[in-house]
Order: sequence, then C-alpha cells, then structure tokens
Amino acid sequence: MIPSGQPQPQKATAKYRSQFRIYVDIMHVIQRENNEAKPTRILYGANLSHDRLIKYLDELKALGVIQETGTDDKVYSLTQKGIEFMNNFRKVESFASAFGFKI
Amino acid sequence: MEFIASVIAIAVAYQALRGYNLSKERTLLYLNLSFVLIGAGLLVDGLSDLIVLLARGERGFLFVFNLGYTINFLAQLLAYGLLVFAYLYQTRSPSSIALAALPVMFIQRNTLTELILIFLLVYVATQTAMNYSANKNVNALLVFGAFASLSIAHLFFLLYILIPTFFPLAHIAQLFGFLLLLAMLLRVNQPA
Repeated sequence: MIPSGQPQPQKATAKYRSQFRIYVDIMHVIQRENNEAKPTRILYGANLSHDRLIKYLDELKALGVIQETGTDDKVYSLTQKGIEFMNNFRKVESFASAFGFKI
Repeated sequence: MEFIASVIAIAVAYQALRGYNLSKERTLLYLNLSFVLIGAGLLVDGLSDLIVLLARGERGFLFVFNLGYTINFLAQLLAYGLLVFAYLYQTRSPSSIALAALPVMFIQRNTLTELILIFLLVYVATQTAMNYSANKNVNALLVFGAFASLSIAHLFFLLYILIPTFFPLAHIAQLFGFLLLLAMLLRVNQPA
C-alpha cells in the first residue's frame, strides 16, 4: 500500500501536488515509456527537480512498486505490485472523476 | 425496489472506500459515508415495507411503515448533506462548508425538509452536470443522470401527497437512478 500524501495546507492551490499524486505521476511516466524509463524521462515527465526525483524514486523502490534495472544506465520499471497498483488506481480515478472528485 | 437500490448504494460505498484506502482522499470518504447512509436507509425502508406487507397492512403495523420511511428520509437528508459537503470541501471554502450542515437543523420530516432534500439533490445534480460538461465522459453522464433521476424521484415523493399516481413513478425514477449508478460502477470496473 502506498502511503497517503502529506497533510495539505489549509488553502491549497489547484497546482499543489500531494506526495501520493507525485508517486502516481512517476509510475505513470514509467508505464508510458513501455515500462522502461530513464531518470531524465521521469524527471521531465513528472515535472520534478533532480533532488526530489531521487528522493521519490528511492521511496518507491522501498515500497516495492518500482525496480532499478540496467547495468550502465539506470532504468526504472514497475514491479508486478506496481502494475497492480496502477490498475487499481486507474479504476479509482475513473470512479472519482465520474462524480467530479479529483484525486 | 428499495432492496435493489440499497445493494447498489452499498456497492458504490464499497468502491468509494476502496478509493479512499488507496488514495486517502477525504472526498472519497465522504462519498463512502454518504452512500452507506443511503444504502442503510433504503434497507430499513424496504424491511419495514416487507413487515407491513407480511402483516397484510394491519393498522397496528402502519407505524412500522412510517418509522421505516422516516429513518430512510433522515438518512437521505444526512447523506445528501454530506455529499454537498464533499463538493464544497473540494473547493476549500470554509464559509460555504457550514451551509452543508444546514440539514442537521431540520431533523423532523415535513414539507420543508422534503424541499431541503430536493434542494440538496438538485445541488449535487448540478455539480455532476458541470462535471459532465467539463469532462464529456460517459461515466460522468451516468452519475449526472443518476442524481437528476433521484431529484425527480424525490419531487414525485413530495407530489404524491397531492396525487397518489406519483408514488409508483417516484419509485421507478429512484430505481432508474440507482441502475445508472450500477452501470457506472460496471464500466469503471471492467478490465482495461
């Protein structure tokens, strides 16, 4: 189970992204790149700074939803747990958006 | 009809709970609580109708019918109030959030509270209509159709006091609304 986002500020702006949303964005980029994404692609795709990207990739690896492959260049892919999470997330997102709720 | 609607409401509540467990998004928790209340209310109403039916409408059992209807009504009042709260919560407007607590002040069932319930439902239907106009997707259309149908059903429940013909029509509109929610659930859960 991926932990929830950090407590949101009282007056969050529409552009504020929770930790949970950033995790999902990273995993979405990896999935979009045929489940083999280099850090640079993830960095641009998920719109993150280098430091934050490294931090989040480490956290996702510790959660067991992504894995690091490749010998010379680092390449990230989703684990089976990560693929299942994304499938569930897609259903939940579709359900919530049917009611007009953003997650 | 109430039993079918109750099962569908609980299914929607379950899906919302799954979403909340995954994302910890509070609006999904409110959606879950709202549909738990709707499902429980409809179940109590259905059971009370069944008891009266089995007692072949004996006068002594009529209070059971009224009790079931009142519990269902209050559950729906709270549930739709909670849904309005969820929509207001999303906009993070503290002053308007207080408005959603209004139904709690009217816990007695009468024409005024019936009108408040219709107002809450129309508000939710409007929000879902705006969502559909922004997204233009079938699931959003089904949810809008469901709440529009439920609004009409409650209008018919109000009118049935004057014209009894509206009673079966109200039940049909209510069931149709829940069937639209079921269609949305089935679409959301179909394999990619």
